[in-house]
Amino acid sequence: MIPIVRRELLEFLRGRAASGALVALAAASVALVLLRWPTGEAVDLSGARGAQVLRVFGYGLLAAVVFVMPAFPATAVVREKVNGTLALLLNTPLSITAIYFGKLGGALACAALIFVVTAPAAAACHALGGPPSSGGVGALYAVLALAALQLATLALLISSRSNSAETALRATYAFVLAVVLLPLIPFWLLEGSRGVGADVAGVARALSPVPAVLEVLGQGGSGRGLSASDGAVVPYLVAALLSSFAFALATVARLARNPLDRARPAGVMTQDRSGRGRLLRRLLFLIDPQRRSGSTSLLFNPVLVKELRTRRFGRSHWSLRLVALCAILSLALSYLAASGALSWGAGAIGGGLVLLQSALLILFVPSLASGLISAEREGKTWQLLRATPLSAGKILRGKLLSVIWPLLLLLCGTIPGYVVMAAIEPEQFARAQRTVACLGALAAFAVVASAAVGSLFRATAAATAAAYLVVVGTCLGPLLVWLGRDAPFGFAAVESALAVSPLAAALVAADTPGFAGYDVLPTNWYVTGSASVALLVLLAARVRQLYRPE
Amino acid sequence: MGTGTDGPVVEVRELTKKYGRFVALDGLSFTLDRGRILGFIGPNGAGKTTAIKILVGLARPTSGTALVAGVDCAARPRHLKHLIGYMPDVFGAYDNMRVGEYLDFFGAAFGIGRRARAARIGEVLELVRAPHFKDLFVESLSHGMRQRVALARTLLHDPAVLILDEPANGLDPPARIEMRQLLLDLAARGKTLIVTSHILPELARICDRVAIVARGKLRALGTLDEIAQQLNPLRTMEVLVSRAEGVARAAEIVERHTGAPPETAAAELAVRFRTADADAKLSGLLAELVAAGAGVVQFREVQTDLEEAFMTAARAGEAEAAATGAAKGGAE
Repeated sequence: MIPIVRRELLEFLRGRAASGALVALAAASVALVLLRWPTGEAVDLSGARGAQVLRVFGYGLLAAVVFVMPAFPATAVVREKVNGTLALLLNTPLSITAIYFGKLGGALACAALIFVVTAPAAAACHALGGPPSSGGVGALYAVLALAALQLATLALLISSRSNSAETALRATYAFVLAVVLLPLIPFWLLEGSRGVGADVAGVARALSPVPAVLEVLGQGGSGRGLSASDGAVVPYLVAALLSSFAFALATVARLARNPLDRARPAGVMTQDRSGRGRLLRRLLFLIDPQRRSGSTSLLFNPVLVKELRTRRFGRSHWSLRLVALCAILSLALSYLAASGALSWGAGAIGGGLVLLQSALLILFVPSLASGLISAEREGKTWQLLRATPLSAGKILRGKLLSVIWPLLLLLCGTIPGYVVMAAIEPEQFARAQRTVACLGALAAFAVVASAAVGSLFRATAAATAAAYLVVVGTCLGPLLVWLGRDAPFGFAAVESALAVSPLAAALVAADTPGFAGYDVLPTNWYVTGSASVALLVLLAARVRQLYRPE
Repeated sequence: MGTGTDGPVVEVRELTKKYGRFVALDGLSFTLDRGRILGFIGPNGAGKTTAIKILVGLARPTSGTALVAGVDCAARPRHLKHLIGYMPDVFGAYDNMRVGEYLDFFGAAFGIGRRARAARIGEVLELVRAPHFKDLFVESLSHGMRQRVALARTLLHDPAVLILDEPANGLDPPARIEMRQLLLDLAARGKTLIVTSHILPELARICDRVAIVARGKLRALGTLDEIAQQLNPLRTMEVLVSRAEGVARAAEIVERHTGAPPETAAAELAVRFRTADADAKLSGLLAELVAAGAGVVQFREVQTDLEEAFMTAARAGEAEAAATGAAKGGAE
């Protein structure tokens, strides 16, 4: 087991980017503490300064655990499978459990490194004035370690069931979303109500680490739907341990069964069925997944078609299901917006919509866009593309369009909510327009940044982690400054920070409570637009560089 | 796609590629006519992949030219891609795609129209004897099946020249025999093939010409016989005797005749020696062996095989590299 942990960890640390990120993280956490370190004669007896810094710090660490850490275990098994080294590993005297725990140990060691480099700053926070809750700094690290364990075991399970690094990464981030954010939604919707549904929502909420982190950071009573007064740490402890155990068991069982078996039955093609069978399938399916695909029209970019076909959810029958889901979602949001508009206010509804769309964008876009180039390079298909007459520009356009298309579906799904908002308060129409423009800017930035940063790496895991780091850092980083508004950061500092984040701009545009006083538009559009254009130029130059003859 | 030119289809002249101070390819020159198969062999790191990359337009030479059907590989790489079918040594699978869709993508990438493409996919799958693969998922194919699909992908746009990197790698014997026959069929249809392989007996059976590279330099080029002559001007003769005592007797006579001790293999009842003598002189030696009662049952020339030629060329490359290193060390 130890050799595997060592190998995984060395592989992580050998990259200059990883070392650089760790140093940057340590420097940022130290800078944060120094900013609030008592100067002159001033002494903070209440411990408020320590708590303020620790909050910023805690949310930053939670973002790192949720967005960056899963990329490594997500590719840990599938990469070995693709390279053919899993067969070698299974042929060694190491048992399946030893291999599994080696992989898990490697992933957790990466998380531990993040914790270690930030520990001195956390200790300083403690010294600044004591913990914000009974558990203190230790409880924060314990909850984060549990979250790392839960997400790493989940990522390893998906990795053991995937056939390519790209698929594994996409699936992992989709499931991370399902574990971290989805359990909060039913609780948020049913908050205050009674019955079986509310009880189930309360239990499901325990799966997410967010309420536990909020509680540990002393904000247990705040955040609609995120936490409750009955304590979130112990239920999360139980849920995380149980789910991690279940994920680990399923992965070990998968590895023990036949991890190298890539057989995938082709099934009977509809065209080969009897007349009655064909008729039945025509009645049952709008788009039959077992029907042989037609030839790609030369009017379409072949790379776009290829990208959509290689994604399970990119296929037409899945796209249709997604459209249907988006339609249902938008109807539900319209209903919620209409029924709750009077009590919540347009700002709260707009804020909720912005957060929902932004969460979807920030979670999905890096996993879709970061591997556009690196997955081709890692899978050795890049040279096949280069050997065709397709130009670098056409390849890039096809790849970018393949990300933009599902994004349009996602964004369109929530547009009716804004329409209802504007219908209730017609004077809000301009605000809704501004908000949608901000979300468009956020989507464009996320796509271009993820693709550009991802193209710099050969390994898809590193590309995805780096893309998340950049997108989450840009979008959520300034919100950490906003969390520390009034103290440790002043109004001007917060406003400057928010002007950088496209997510913050959307929240400001929607007049979300807490963001209403800041004036960040149109500065943010200029900043986001310039950054997107610069990143697009970088991406085009990088693709051209990789495409041209050596 | 026809080449529309007479004379050699592939012309490589003084091709050199340097990566910094490292010379990957040093003055490579050869030509290849239509419908011919060139075996391109050499030890690992010899410069084969570099040469292939230049020929398919994925790398630019430092100096020299490479022409395929009159098209300069460095100057017009996009035009070149229609003329060449390249099968790299790795398959390059896309997940969640059926073989038909996989080939459809590459057909569309080469700009083949919809109807023509659908028909062409059927044709190439027939050609590689894999029409039943069309509905299978690419990721579930075995290695041998992938090699066939890769070859089908290479043939899709009907290129004049096929460059195949290790096409028989990982194939079982029946599949290898099929692949060999397939390559010969393609050559008979007028395709020009450049094939690399480490399975030298396979290459020896199909190639019209062989190019051996080592340390970036062309060490030998020609038919197998010509290469044997280039690398080793001496003929290898073998005397087989019927009994063990005859081995020593035959060796003694051969040594007297050639002036050097021959190689003896007592277990095989064989004596082998190298000579530049003509047949007339060798008939005198045979008469002497028979007269001496050595029990001669066979007296024949051993053909130099590709493996031996390969090893000779590789050794020459190593010796040259060692000499260059020693000269540099001395100068310093």
